[in-house]
Amino acid sequence: MKRIALFIVLLLPLACALVELFILQSVQDPIKYIYTITGASATVILFITIALSLMTKWINLIKYRRMIGLYGFFYALLHFLNFFILDAELDFSFVVKETLDKPFIYLGMIAFTILIFMAITSTKKLFKKFNRYHKLIYLALALVTIHFIMAQKSLSIPQLGYVLIILIIAYCKLIQQIVKKNSL
Amino acid sequence: MNIINKPSWQINENEVTPQELFDKRRTFLKLGAASLVAGSSIVEALAKDNIPVPNLDYIKSKNPNGLDLNTYDQITTYNNFYEFTTSKEGVAKMAHSLDTNNWKIFVDGLVEKPLELDFDDLIKKFTLEERIYRFRCVEGWSMVVPWIGIRLKDFIEYVKPLSNAKYIQFETLLDEEIFPDQGKGIFSTINYPYVEGLRMDEAINDLTILAVGLYGSSMPKQNGAPIRLVVPWKYGFKSIKSIANISFTNKEPLNSWQRENPREYGFYANVNPNVDHPRWSQKKERVLGKFFKQKTLMYNGYEKEVAHLYKGMDLTKFI
Repeated sequence: MKRIALFIVLLLPLACALVELFILQSVQDPIKYIYTITGASATVILFITIALSLMTKWINLIKYRRMIGLYGFFYALLHFLNFFILDAELDFSFVVKETLDKPFIYLGMIAFTILIFMAITSTKKLFKKFNRYHKLIYLALALVTIHFIMAQKSLSIPQLGYVLIILIIAYCKLIQQIVKKNSL
Repeated sequence: MNIINKPSWQINENEVTPQELFDKRRTFLKLGAASLVAGSSIVEALAKDNIPVPNLDYIKSKNPNGLDLNTYDQITTYNNFYEFTTSKEGVAKMAHSLDTNNWKIFVDGLVEKPLELDFDDLIKKFTLEERIYRFRCVEGWSMVVPWIGIRLKDFIEYVKPLSNAKYIQFETLLDEEIFPDQGKGIFSTINYPYVEGLRMDEAINDLTILAVGLYGSSMPKQNGAPIRLVVPWKYGFKSIKSIANISFTNKEPLNSWQRENPREYGFYANVNPNVDHPRWSQKKERVLGKFFKQKTLMYNGYEKEVAHLYKGMDLTKFI
Protein backbone atom coordinates (compact mmCIF):
# COMPACT_ATOMS: atom_id res chain seq x y z
CA MET A 1 0.00 0.00 0.00
CA LYS A 2 2.73 2.42 1.09
CA ARG A 3 4.72 1.41 -1.97
CA ILE A 4 1.90 2.22 -4.39
CA ALA A 5 1.20 5.55 -2.68
CA LEU A 6 4.88 6.47 -2.90
CA PHE A 7 5.01 5.36 -6.51
CA ILE A 8 2.14 7.72 -7.38
CA VAL A 9 3.38 10.68 -5.31
CA LEU A 10 6.81 10.46 -6.92
CA LEU A 11 5.24 10.49 -10.39
CA LEU A 12 3.27 13.69 -9.65
CA PRO A 13 5.94 16.20 -10.80
CA LEU A 14 6.13 14.41 -14.15
CA ALA A 15 2.34 14.30 -14.45
CA CYS A 16 2.09 18.04 -13.64
CA ALA A 17 4.74 18.85 -16.22
CA LEU A 18 3.03 16.81 -18.93
CA VAL A 19 -0.33 18.44 -18.23
CA GLU A 20 1.15 21.96 -18.31
CA LEU A 21 3.21 21.30 -21.41
CA PHE A 22 0.82 19.35 -23.61
CA ILE A 23 -2.74 19.70 -22.31
CA LEU A 24 -2.92 23.24 -20.93
CA GLN A 25 -0.05 24.42 -23.15
CA SER A 26 0.49 27.21 -20.67
CA VAL A 27 4.29 27.11 -20.64
CA GLN A 28 6.05 30.01 -22.35
CA ASP A 29 9.61 28.74 -22.24
CA PRO A 30 9.36 24.92 -22.32
CA ILE A 31 13.08 24.11 -22.17
CA LYS A 32 13.62 26.35 -19.14
CA TYR A 33 10.47 24.96 -17.51
CA ILE A 34 11.61 21.34 -17.98
CA TYR A 35 15.01 22.19 -16.48
CA THR A 36 13.38 23.73 -13.44
CA ILE A 37 10.80 21.04 -12.72
CA THR A 38 13.09 18.05 -13.33
CA GLY A 39 16.04 19.64 -11.53
CA ALA A 40 13.97 20.60 -8.51
CA SER A 41 12.26 17.19 -8.37
CA ALA A 42 15.56 15.29 -8.58
CA THR A 43 17.15 17.47 -5.89
CA VAL A 44 14.23 17.23 -3.46
CA ILE A 45 13.83 13.47 -3.94
CA LEU A 46 17.56 12.77 -3.50
CA PHE A 47 17.70 14.88 -0.34
CA ILE A 48 14.72 12.90 0.94
CA THR A 49 16.65 9.64 0.45
CA ILE A 50 19.42 10.81 2.77
CA ALA A 51 16.91 12.30 5.22
CA LEU A 52 14.92 9.02 5.53
CA SER A 53 17.16 7.77 8.33
CA LEU A 54 16.52 11.01 10.23
CA MET A 55 12.74 10.57 10.05
CA THR A 56 12.41 6.94 11.17
CA LYS A 57 10.73 7.93 14.45
CA TRP A 58 8.12 9.84 12.52
CA ILE A 59 7.69 7.65 9.45
CA ASN A 60 9.81 4.67 8.44
CA LEU A 61 10.37 4.50 4.70
CA ILE A 62 13.88 3.05 4.78
CA LYS A 63 12.52 -0.04 3.02
CA TYR A 64 11.70 2.10 -0.01
CA ARG A 65 14.97 3.99 -0.17
CA ARG A 66 16.08 2.27 -3.36
CA MET A 67 12.85 3.05 -5.16
CA ILE A 68 12.89 6.69 -4.02
CA GLY A 69 16.54 7.02 -5.03
CA LEU A 70 15.81 5.60 -8.47
CA TYR A 71 13.07 8.17 -8.91
CA GLY A 72 15.61 10.87 -8.08
CA PHE A 73 17.86 9.41 -10.76
CA PHE A 74 14.92 9.28 -13.20
CA TYR A 75 14.28 13.04 -12.85
CA ALA A 76 18.02 13.75 -13.14
CA LEU A 77 18.00 11.68 -16.34
CA LEU A 78 15.10 13.74 -17.74
CA HIS A 79 17.05 16.87 -16.77
CA PHE A 80 20.07 15.60 -18.72
CA LEU A 81 17.95 14.53 -21.71
CA ASN A 82 16.43 18.02 -21.79
CA PHE A 83 19.98 19.36 -22.09
CA PHE A 84 21.00 16.83 -24.73
CA ILE A 85 17.86 16.60 -26.89
CA LEU A 86 16.04 19.94 -26.66
CA ASP A 87 18.71 22.41 -25.54
CA ALA A 88 21.71 21.03 -27.46
CA GLU A 89 19.54 19.55 -30.22
CA LEU A 90 21.51 16.28 -30.18
CA ASP A 91 24.72 18.12 -31.08
CA PHE A 92 27.17 15.83 -29.31
CA SER A 93 30.22 18.04 -29.83
CA PHE A 94 28.31 21.02 -28.38
CA VAL A 95 27.46 18.97 -25.27
CA VAL A 96 31.10 17.94 -24.79
CA LYS A 97 32.39 21.46 -25.38
CA GLU A 98 29.88 23.07 -23.01
CA THR A 99 30.54 20.41 -20.38
CA LEU A 100 34.29 21.00 -20.43
CA ASP A 101 33.87 24.77 -20.74
CA LYS A 102 31.30 25.80 -18.16
CA PRO A 103 31.82 24.94 -14.45
CA PHE A 104 28.07 25.20 -13.93
CA ILE A 105 27.57 22.36 -16.40
CA TYR A 106 30.51 20.09 -15.49
CA LEU A 107 29.56 20.11 -11.81
CA GLY A 108 26.11 18.92 -12.82
CA MET A 109 27.63 16.28 -15.10
CA ILE A 110 29.90 14.91 -12.37
CA ALA A 111 26.89 14.62 -10.07
CA PHE A 112 24.91 12.90 -12.83
CA THR A 113 27.75 10.42 -13.44
CA ILE A 114 27.70 9.50 -9.75
CA LEU A 115 23.94 8.95 -9.98
CA ILE A 116 24.33 6.69 -13.04
CA PHE A 117 26.88 4.61 -11.13
CA MET A 118 24.55 4.35 -8.13
CA ALA A 119 21.54 3.45 -10.26
CA ILE A 120 23.44 0.65 -12.03
CA THR A 121 24.85 -0.76 -8.81
CA SER A 122 21.53 -0.62 -6.97
CA THR A 123 20.54 -4.18 -7.88
CA LYS A 124 20.74 -6.62 -4.98
CA LYS A 125 23.77 -8.41 -6.33
CA LEU A 126 25.82 -5.38 -7.29
CA PHE A 127 24.76 -3.39 -4.23
CA LYS A 128 26.46 -5.96 -1.97
CA LYS A 129 29.72 -5.32 -3.77
CA PHE A 130 29.46 -1.58 -4.25
CA ASN A 131 27.34 -0.25 -1.38
CA ARG A 132 30.26 1.40 0.40
CA TYR A 133 30.75 3.60 -2.66
CA HIS A 134 27.17 4.78 -2.37
CA LYS A 135 28.43 7.32 0.15
CA LEU A 136 29.28 9.26 -3.01
CA ILE A 137 25.70 10.54 -2.83
CA TYR A 138 26.94 13.18 -0.38
CA LEU A 139 29.43 14.45 -2.95
CA ALA A 140 26.74 14.39 -5.65
CA LEU A 141 24.34 16.37 -3.46
CA ALA A 142 27.00 18.95 -2.63
CA LEU A 143 27.67 19.40 -6.35
CA VAL A 144 23.95 19.56 -7.12
CA THR A 145 23.54 22.34 -4.56
CA ILE A 146 26.36 24.38 -6.09
CA HIS A 147 24.93 23.69 -9.56
CA PHE A 148 21.52 24.92 -8.40
CA ILE A 149 22.94 28.10 -6.86
CA MET A 150 25.02 28.80 -9.97
CA ALA A 151 21.94 28.42 -12.18
CA GLN A 152 20.33 31.47 -10.54
CA LYS A 153 20.83 34.97 -11.87
CA SER A 154 20.59 36.20 -8.30
CA LEU A 155 19.45 34.67 -5.04
CA SER A 156 16.10 35.79 -3.70
CA ILE A 157 14.30 34.79 -0.50
CA PRO A 158 12.71 31.49 -1.70
CA GLN A 159 16.02 30.26 -3.05
CA LEU A 160 17.81 31.23 0.17
CA GLY A 161 15.09 29.20 1.91
CA TYR A 162 15.95 26.07 -0.09
CA VAL A 163 19.63 26.53 0.68
CA LEU A 164 18.77 26.87 4.38
CA ILE A 165 16.76 23.60 4.32
CA ILE A 166 19.70 21.86 2.63
CA LEU A 167 22.08 23.15 5.31
CA ILE A 168 19.74 21.93 8.06
CA ILE A 169 19.61 18.43 6.53
CA ALA A 170 23.41 18.44 6.16
CA TYR A 171 23.80 19.52 9.79
CA CYS A 172 21.44 16.77 11.05
CA LYS A 173 23.29 14.15 9.00
CA LEU A 174 26.59 15.31 10.44
CA ILE A 175 25.28 15.07 14.01
CA GLN A 176 23.86 11.63 13.21
CA GLN A 177 27.23 10.42 11.96
CA ILE A 178 29.07 11.81 14.99
CA VAL A 179 26.64 10.13 17.39
CA LYS A 180 26.98 6.85 15.48
CA LYS A 181 30.78 6.95 15.61
CA ASN A 182 30.85 7.69 19.34
CA SER A 183 28.47 4.86 20.16
CA LEU A 184 30.59 2.27 18.41
CA MET B 1 -30.34 81.89 -1.29
CA ASN B 2 -30.13 78.63 -3.03
CA ILE B 3 -29.04 75.89 -0.71
CA ILE B 4 -28.66 72.48 -2.21
CA ASN B 5 -29.40 69.87 0.38
CA LYS B 6 -28.10 66.63 -0.88
CA PRO B 7 -30.03 63.69 0.50
CA SER B 8 -27.97 60.99 2.07
CA TRP B 9 -28.92 58.40 -0.53
CA GLN B 10 -27.66 60.50 -3.40
CA ILE B 11 -24.09 59.45 -4.06
CA ASN B 12 -21.68 60.49 -6.74
CA GLU B 13 -21.73 58.70 -10.05
CA ASN B 14 -18.10 57.69 -9.68
CA GLU B 15 -18.93 55.85 -6.50
CA VAL B 16 -21.36 53.64 -8.41
CA THR B 17 -19.32 52.55 -11.39
CA PRO B 18 -16.21 50.60 -10.53
CA GLN B 19 -13.10 52.35 -11.84
CA GLU B 20 -12.12 49.34 -13.88
CA LEU B 21 -15.38 49.23 -15.81
CA PHE B 22 -15.31 52.99 -16.22
CA ASP B 23 -11.86 52.75 -17.80
CA LYS B 24 -13.11 50.05 -20.11
CA ARG B 25 -16.10 52.04 -21.38
CA ARG B 26 -14.34 52.98 -24.58
CA THR B 27 -13.14 49.44 -25.15
CA PHE B 28 -16.71 48.31 -24.83
CA LEU B 29 -17.99 50.91 -27.27
CA LYS B 30 -15.20 50.27 -29.72
CA LEU B 31 -15.77 46.55 -29.70
CA GLY B 32 -19.37 47.27 -30.64
CA ALA B 33 -18.36 49.74 -33.31
CA ALA B 34 -15.63 47.49 -34.62
CA SER B 35 -18.07 44.65 -35.04
CA LEU B 36 -20.20 46.83 -37.34
CA VAL B 37 -17.43 47.91 -39.68
CA ALA B 38 -14.67 45.34 -39.44
CA GLY B 39 -16.58 42.16 -39.72
CA SER B 40 -16.08 39.33 -37.33
CA SER B 41 -12.47 38.36 -38.01
CA ILE B 42 -10.72 41.26 -36.31
CA VAL B 43 -13.12 41.27 -33.39
CA GLU B 44 -12.56 37.58 -33.01
CA ALA B 45 -8.80 38.12 -33.05
CA LEU B 46 -9.09 40.85 -30.43
CA ALA B 47 -11.25 38.67 -28.24
CA LYS B 48 -9.34 35.42 -28.72
CA ASP B 49 -5.86 36.69 -27.97
CA ASN B 50 -7.00 38.95 -25.13
CA ILE B 51 -5.59 41.95 -26.94
CA PRO B 52 -7.09 45.16 -25.58
CA VAL B 53 -8.75 47.37 -28.16
CA PRO B 54 -6.06 49.83 -29.31
CA ASN B 55 -6.16 53.22 -27.57
CA LEU B 56 -3.11 54.87 -29.15
CA ASP B 57 -2.73 56.80 -32.41
CA TYR B 58 0.47 55.85 -34.13
CA ILE B 59 2.18 55.25 -37.44
CA LYS B 60 1.90 51.57 -38.20
CA SER B 61 5.04 49.56 -38.92
CA LYS B 62 5.27 47.73 -42.23
CA ASN B 63 7.26 45.03 -40.43
CA PRO B 64 10.20 45.36 -42.84
CA ASN B 65 11.99 42.31 -41.46
CA GLY B 66 8.88 40.16 -41.78
CA LEU B 67 9.07 39.01 -38.16
CA ASP B 68 6.56 36.64 -36.58
CA LEU B 69 4.94 38.45 -33.66
CA ASN B 70 4.64 36.80 -30.28
CA THR B 71 1.11 36.90 -28.90
CA TYR B 72 -0.07 39.64 -26.55
CA ASP B 73 -0.51 36.92 -23.94
CA GLN B 74 3.09 35.73 -24.23
CA ILE B 75 4.49 39.25 -24.09
CA THR B 76 2.46 40.20 -21.03
CA THR B 77 2.76 37.05 -18.90
CA TYR B 78 6.49 36.34 -19.07
CA ASN B 79 8.35 39.31 -17.65
CA ASN B 80 11.56 40.02 -15.81
CA PHE B 81 10.70 42.82 -13.40
CA TYR B 82 12.63 42.11 -10.19
CA GLU B 83 11.05 45.10 -8.41
CA PHE B 84 7.98 42.86 -8.12
CA THR B 85 9.33 39.30 -8.09
CA THR B 86 11.91 37.08 -9.78
CA SER B 87 9.07 34.85 -11.01
CA LYS B 88 8.43 35.75 -14.64
CA GLU B 89 4.86 34.46 -14.48
CA GLY B 90 4.33 36.23 -11.16
CA VAL B 91 4.99 39.78 -12.37
CA ALA B 92 1.69 40.18 -14.26
CA LYS B 93 -0.25 39.14 -11.14
CA MET B 94 1.52 41.67 -8.92
CA ALA B 95 1.89 44.62 -11.27
CA HIS B 96 -1.51 46.17 -10.44
CA SER B 97 0.21 48.15 -7.68
CA LEU B 98 2.08 50.18 -10.28
CA ASP B 99 0.11 53.44 -10.26
CA THR B 100 1.06 55.42 -13.36
CA ASN B 101 -1.29 58.37 -12.82
CA ASN B 102 0.49 61.75 -12.78
CA TRP B 103 3.75 60.06 -13.71
CA LYS B 104 6.69 62.45 -13.66
CA ILE B 105 10.07 62.15 -15.30
CA PHE B 106 12.95 64.17 -13.90
CA VAL B 107 15.71 65.21 -16.25
CA ASP B 108 18.98 66.53 -14.81
CA GLY B 109 22.76 66.41 -15.06
CA LEU B 110 24.40 67.97 -18.09
CA VAL B 111 21.32 69.70 -19.52
CA GLU B 112 20.56 73.34 -20.24
CA LYS B 113 18.13 73.28 -17.36
CA PRO B 114 16.77 70.47 -15.16
CA LEU B 115 13.19 69.56 -16.02
CA GLU B 116 10.23 67.89 -14.40
CA LEU B 117 8.15 66.43 -17.20
CA ASP B 118 4.58 65.20 -16.92
CA PHE B 119 4.31 61.95 -18.84
CA ASP B 120 0.86 62.62 -20.36
CA ASP B 121 1.88 66.09 -21.55
CA LEU B 122 5.21 64.84 -22.81
CA ILE B 123 4.00 62.19 -25.22
CA LYS B 124 1.46 64.55 -26.78
CA LYS B 125 4.42 66.49 -28.12
CA PHE B 126 5.72 63.59 -30.22
CA THR B 127 4.48 61.37 -33.00
CA LEU B 128 4.10 57.80 -31.88
CA GLU B 129 5.32 55.08 -34.16
CA GLU B 130 5.20 51.32 -34.12
CA ARG B 131 8.46 49.36 -34.15
CA ILE B 132 8.40 45.60 -34.53
CA TYR B 133 11.61 44.39 -32.89
CA ARG B 134 13.26 41.20 -31.80
CA PHE B 135 13.76 41.15 -28.02
CA ARG B 136 16.55 38.86 -26.76
CA CYS B 137 17.05 38.19 -23.06
CA VAL B 138 20.55 37.46 -21.77
CA GLU B 139 19.06 34.31 -20.20
CA GLY B 140 18.58 32.81 -23.65
CA TRP B 141 14.89 33.36 -24.46
CA SER B 142 13.52 35.76 -27.01
CA MET B 143 10.34 37.19 -28.49
CA VAL B 144 9.13 39.63 -31.14
CA VAL B 145 7.22 42.65 -29.85
CA PRO B 146 5.25 45.35 -31.71
CA TRP B 147 6.32 48.29 -29.55
CA ILE B 148 4.87 51.78 -29.86
CA GLY B 149 7.01 54.69 -28.84
CA ILE B 150 8.97 57.80 -29.64
CA ARG B 151 12.50 58.01 -30.91
CA LEU B 152 14.89 58.62 -28.02
CA LYS B 153 16.72 61.00 -30.35
CA ASP B 154 13.64 63.25 -30.56
CA PHE B 155 13.30 63.21 -26.78
CA ILE B 156 16.97 64.14 -26.34
CA GLU B 157 16.63 67.05 -28.73
CA TYR B 158 13.61 68.22 -26.76
CA VAL B 159 15.35 68.25 -23.35
CA LYS B 160 18.54 69.87 -24.71
CA PRO B 161 21.59 68.23 -23.15
CA LEU B 162 24.88 70.15 -23.06
CA SER B 163 27.47 69.38 -25.69
CA ASN B 164 29.79 67.73 -23.15
CA ALA B 165 27.19 65.08 -22.27
CA LYS B 166 28.60 61.72 -23.39
CA TYR B 167 26.18 59.32 -21.75
CA ILE B 168 22.52 59.16 -20.84
CA GLN B 169 21.52 57.41 -17.63
CA PHE B 170 18.05 56.10 -16.73
CA GLU B 171 16.56 55.07 -13.40
CA THR B 172 13.41 53.12 -12.62
CA LEU B 173 11.04 54.64 -10.08
CA LEU B 174 12.04 54.03 -6.45
CA ASP B 175 8.89 53.43 -4.41
CA GLU B 176 8.48 50.63 -1.87
CA GLU B 177 4.69 51.03 -1.90
CA ILE B 178 4.62 50.08 -5.57
CA PHE B 179 7.57 47.72 -5.82
CA PRO B 180 7.63 45.20 -2.94
CA ASP B 181 11.18 43.96 -3.57
CA GLN B 182 12.53 47.48 -3.02
CA GLY B 183 11.36 47.33 0.59
CA LYS B 184 13.16 44.13 1.56
CA GLY B 185 16.41 45.74 2.70
CA ILE B 186 19.32 43.30 2.62
CA PHE B 187 16.96 40.62 1.26
CA SER B 188 16.22 42.64 -1.86
CA THR B 189 17.13 40.62 -4.93
CA ILE B 190 19.30 43.41 -6.40
CA ASN B 191 20.22 46.97 -5.48
CA TYR B 192 17.65 49.66 -6.29
CA PRO B 193 16.87 51.88 -8.07
CA TYR B 194 17.53 49.94 -11.26
CA VAL B 195 20.00 51.89 -13.39
CA GLU B 196 20.79 51.66 -17.08
CA GLY B 197 22.72 53.80 -19.51
CA LEU B 198 23.73 54.32 -23.10
CA ARG B 199 26.52 56.06 -24.88
CA MET B 200 25.16 59.14 -26.62
CA ASP B 201 25.70 57.73 -30.13
CA GLU B 202 23.77 54.59 -29.11
CA ALA B 203 21.02 56.74 -27.64
CA ILE B 204 20.46 58.77 -30.80
CA ASN B 205 20.59 55.76 -33.10
CA ASP B 206 17.36 55.54 -35.06
CA LEU B 207 16.51 52.12 -33.58
CA THR B 208 16.49 53.31 -29.97
CA ILE B 209 13.04 54.25 -28.68
CA LEU B 210 11.21 55.20 -25.52
CA ALA B 211 8.26 52.82 -25.70
CA VAL B 212 4.88 53.78 -24.27
CA GLY B 213 2.81 50.90 -25.56
CA LEU B 214 2.58 47.64 -27.44
CA TYR B 215 0.00 45.98 -29.68
CA GLY B 216 -1.63 49.40 -30.16
CA SER B 217 -2.35 50.00 -26.47
CA SER B 218 -0.70 51.79 -23.57
CA MET B 219 2.20 49.92 -22.02
CA PRO B 220 0.96 47.10 -19.75
CA LYS B 221 2.19 47.59 -16.19
CA GLN B 222 4.17 44.34 -16.15
CA ASN B 223 6.07 45.47 -19.26
CA GLY B 224 7.26 48.72 -17.64
CA ALA B 225 4.43 51.24 -17.78
CA PRO B 226 4.15 54.04 -18.56
CA ILE B 227 7.44 54.51 -20.35
CA ARG B 228 10.46 52.30 -20.91
CA LEU B 229 13.56 52.10 -23.02
CA VAL B 230 13.84 49.67 -25.96
CA VAL B 231 17.29 49.03 -27.45
CA PRO B 232 16.72 46.04 -29.74
CA TRP B 233 20.35 45.11 -30.46
CA LYS B 234 21.19 44.76 -26.76
CA TYR B 235 20.20 42.11 -24.22
CA GLY B 236 16.83 42.83 -22.65
CA PHE B 237 18.18 44.06 -19.31
CA LYS B 238 19.39 47.24 -21.02
CA SER B 239 15.79 48.13 -21.88
CA ILE B 240 14.95 49.66 -18.50
CA LYS B 241 11.31 49.81 -17.36
CA SER B 242 9.10 52.45 -15.69
CA ILE B 243 11.57 55.30 -16.08
CA ALA B 244 11.38 58.10 -13.50
CA ASN B 245 14.80 59.75 -13.80
CA ILE B 246 17.00 60.58 -16.76
CA SER B 247 20.35 62.29 -16.45
CA PHE B 248 23.14 63.21 -18.81
CA THR B 249 26.72 62.59 -17.70
CA ASN B 250 30.23 62.57 -19.03
CA LYS B 251 31.22 59.30 -17.39
CA GLU B 252 29.98 55.81 -18.13
CA PRO B 253 27.02 54.96 -15.88
CA LEU B 254 27.38 51.88 -13.67
CA ASN B 255 24.33 49.90 -14.80
CA SER B 256 22.58 47.60 -12.32
CA TRP B 257 23.63 44.20 -13.63
CA GLN B 258 27.23 45.27 -14.07
CA ARG B 259 27.19 46.43 -10.44
CA GLU B 260 25.71 43.07 -9.34
CA ASN B 261 28.15 40.90 -11.28
CA PRO B 262 30.78 42.65 -13.44
CA ARG B 263 32.29 39.33 -14.55
CA GLU B 264 29.06 38.31 -16.24
CA TYR B 265 27.43 41.58 -17.31
CA GLY B 266 28.97 44.69 -18.77
CA PHE B 267 27.92 48.15 -19.85
CA TYR B 268 27.43 47.32 -23.54
CA ALA B 269 25.48 44.03 -23.39
CA ASN B 270 25.26 43.82 -27.17
CA VAL B 271 23.62 40.63 -28.39
CA ASN B 272 26.50 38.51 -29.64
CA PRO B 273 26.26 34.78 -30.45
CA ASN B 274 30.06 34.52 -30.55
CA VAL B 275 30.68 35.59 -26.96
CA ASP B 276 29.22 33.20 -24.38
CA HIS B 277 27.88 34.19 -21.03
CA PRO B 278 30.32 32.63 -18.50
CA ARG B 279 27.66 30.10 -17.51
CA TRP B 280 25.87 29.37 -20.78
CA SER B 281 26.12 29.60 -24.53
CA GLN B 282 24.59 32.54 -26.41
CA LYS B 283 24.71 30.88 -29.83
CA LYS B 284 21.01 30.06 -29.95
CA GLU B 285 17.82 31.30 -28.37
CA ARG B 286 14.50 29.92 -27.23
CA VAL B 287 11.63 31.79 -28.87
CA LEU B 288 8.75 31.96 -26.38
CA GLY B 289 6.11 29.33 -27.03
CA LYS B 290 8.43 27.04 -29.01
CA PHE B 291 10.16 23.75 -28.17
CA PHE B 292 12.93 24.30 -30.69
CA LYS B 293 15.65 26.88 -30.67
CA GLN B 294 16.82 29.26 -33.35
CA LYS B 295 20.19 30.83 -34.10
CA THR B 296 20.91 34.13 -32.40
CA LEU B 297 21.96 36.86 -34.84
CA MET B 298 24.87 39.26 -34.40
CA TYR B 299 23.54 42.45 -32.78
CA ASN B 300 20.22 40.60 -32.68
CA GLY B 301 19.82 41.05 -36.43
CA TYR B 302 20.56 44.81 -36.46
CA GLU B 303 24.20 44.58 -37.55
CA LYS B 304 23.68 46.87 -40.53
CA GLU B 305 22.30 49.63 -38.34
CA VAL B 306 24.67 49.46 -35.36
CA ALA B 307 27.90 47.55 -36.11
CA HIS B 308 29.71 50.84 -36.94
CA LEU B 309 29.20 52.03 -33.36
CA TYR B 310 31.60 49.37 -32.08
CA LYS B 311 34.25 49.38 -34.79
CA GLY B 312 37.67 48.55 -33.39
CA MET B 313 36.33 47.48 -30.00
CA ASP B 314 37.23 44.06 -28.58
CA LEU B 315 33.77 42.54 -28.15
CA THR B 316 35.04 39.81 -25.85
CA LYS B 317 36.20 42.52 -23.45
CA PHE B 318 33.42 45.08 -23.77
CA ILE B 319 30.61 42.68 -22.88
